[in-house]
Amino acid sequence: MDVLVDGVAQALSLLFSGDQETWAITLLTLRVSLGATLIAALVGAPIGMAIALGSFPGRRLLLAAANTGMGLPPVVVGLVVTVLLWRSGPLGSLGLLYTPTAMVVAQAVIATPVVVALVAAAVQQVDREFLVQMQGLGATRLRALLALAAEARLPLLAAAMAAFGAVVSEVGAAQMVGGNIAGQTRVLTTAAVLATSRGEFGLAIAFGLVLLLLAFAVNVVVTLAGQR
Amino acid sequence: MTSRIGCRELRVSARGRELLRVPELDVAAGEVLAVLGPNGAGKSTLLRALGHLGHLHRTGDVLLDGRVAGPRELRAAIAAVLQRPILRRGTVAGNAAAGLRLRGVGRAEARRRSAPWLDALGIGHLAERRASTLSGGEAQRVAIARALAVAPRVLLLDEPFAGLDATSRADLLADLRTVLDGLDTATVLVTHDRHEAMALAGRTALLVAGRIRQLGPTARVLDQPVDLDCARLVGFTNVLPPAVTGRPRLAAARPEHCVVGGDGDGLRIPGTVRRVVPLGAATRVDVDTEAGTLACRSVDANGLGPGAPVTVSVPEAALRPIPTNGAFVAT
Repeated sequence: MDVLVDGVAQALSLLFSGDQETWAITLLTLRVSLGATLIAALVGAPIGMAIALGSFPGRRLLLAAANTGMGLPPVVVGLVVTVLLWRSGPLGSLGLLYTPTAMVVAQAVIATPVVVALVAAAVQQVDREFLVQMQGLGATRLRALLALAAEARLPLLAAAMAAFGAVVSEVGAAQMVGGNIAGQTRVLTTAAVLATSRGEFGLAIAFGLVLLLLAFAVNVVVTLAGQR
Repeated sequence: MTSRIGCRELRVSARGRELLRVPELDVAAGEVLAVLGPNGAGKSTLLRALGHLGHLHRTGDVLLDGRVAGPRELRAAIAAVLQRPILRRGTVAGNAAAGLRLRGVGRAEARRRSAPWLDALGIGHLAERRASTLSGGEAQRVAIARALAVAPRVLLLDEPFAGLDATSRADLLADLRTVLDGLDTATVLVTHDRHEAMALAGRTALLVAGRIRQLGPTARVLDQPVDLDCARLVGFTNVLPPAVTGRPRLAAARPEHCVVGGDGDGLRIPGTVRRVVPLGAATRVDVDTEAGTLACRSVDANGLGPGAPVTVSVPEAALRPIPTNGAFVAT
């Protein structure tokens, strides 16, 4: 019990004393995970919309794949991306392994199926005739799609939140493709794992708290924005 | 008559099957045309093909003011009201302004221009209510106000009254009639209800299996069907073969004109009661006769029960000859 109380006390002092290393790790975590979420949204949202609105061969298969992909084990993604970026691998010449960029790529792969599946579900919630009705009021195809996105903005934001939540809390891929290099690729989750393994529970709990606060803050902002 | 909107050789197909084929149709400015047809006849398809709405595999031309029009011209000219009122989040006033907003009009200007239409449709007092709290009838009024607010040159109505209860429907029909009377808009109303056609439309087209079978002034189309399908569509559901009428051709009559136990002149057909359905003011009696089962009306259901022998009388004036070569089909 003492360990836990001491740990929380130490965590709070670390956070409020403005410990430089803790803050650097937090900022890198935000950069990597928000970047990955952004890429996943740019790639996944159009696919999700196409699945929801289109009628093309393989549509159901794609949706089933996306739904399966929501449970993609980060370790598997980390493994595949590591192999691809390995010095002698197909993309080894890019020299990206153990860089934040590699972590963004791996996390984007994890987040994209989440975005695809949830965007498809969000758009399917809107009336099937919505686009026809918007066109029937004089909207161009693009304006009608924007109106549709505005109509579904809450579930769409929920899709983004879920994607961010999935990547900010994962440790497997970040560890494998990032390598947990201090000052370069160390993020909150990998730092927490390392600190725990060293018995530095205060530090680990501090990282855990920051992770929780981060997730909470992002969700509050997004929820408020959606209900405005 | 100068045509506001029309089509030439308009065809729509899906998966190699032809859903609709309309060689020629014209609707003038200020006119209301009703397209009456059973479910699945292609009514909505025709409406959407005319407005270039949605994804249809279509060939042929849509004409605006007599000239071939593309999606851009049609988008600018048309406003549509669908069967279900699809409103957006937000207030009634915001929804009424949505059509103008989609056409690039500023927020304040759009509100200003759409407000009078809420009043015209009797929902001005709901302007600040959230759209999600409206009843079906109120929501449909908002959808109609939203369409009229863009001052459309062509108004497309896709069964806008279908989901409403009888009272809301009658009120909305009356209000819409008043509004449309003062406009220069060409209106196409798709419906399966002949009473709506009667209430709103100067001309009516009967659409059966993707083809327009009959087109003319509403009163005439509803009273003088040209074939069996059209007869059934406009309510002449009792079909009487020559053997029963003694006439050279097939004839049809409305159930409300076939009276059980009536004593007037005209046709008298013996039969037995199959079932009795009380409908409030009158009673519907289905009678098995040599012409098949006839739906009839009776003012007095006393003593009528299944199996009772009765006589159905049909005034000569209520019979419509059906000019078709088709074989008699028992109903």
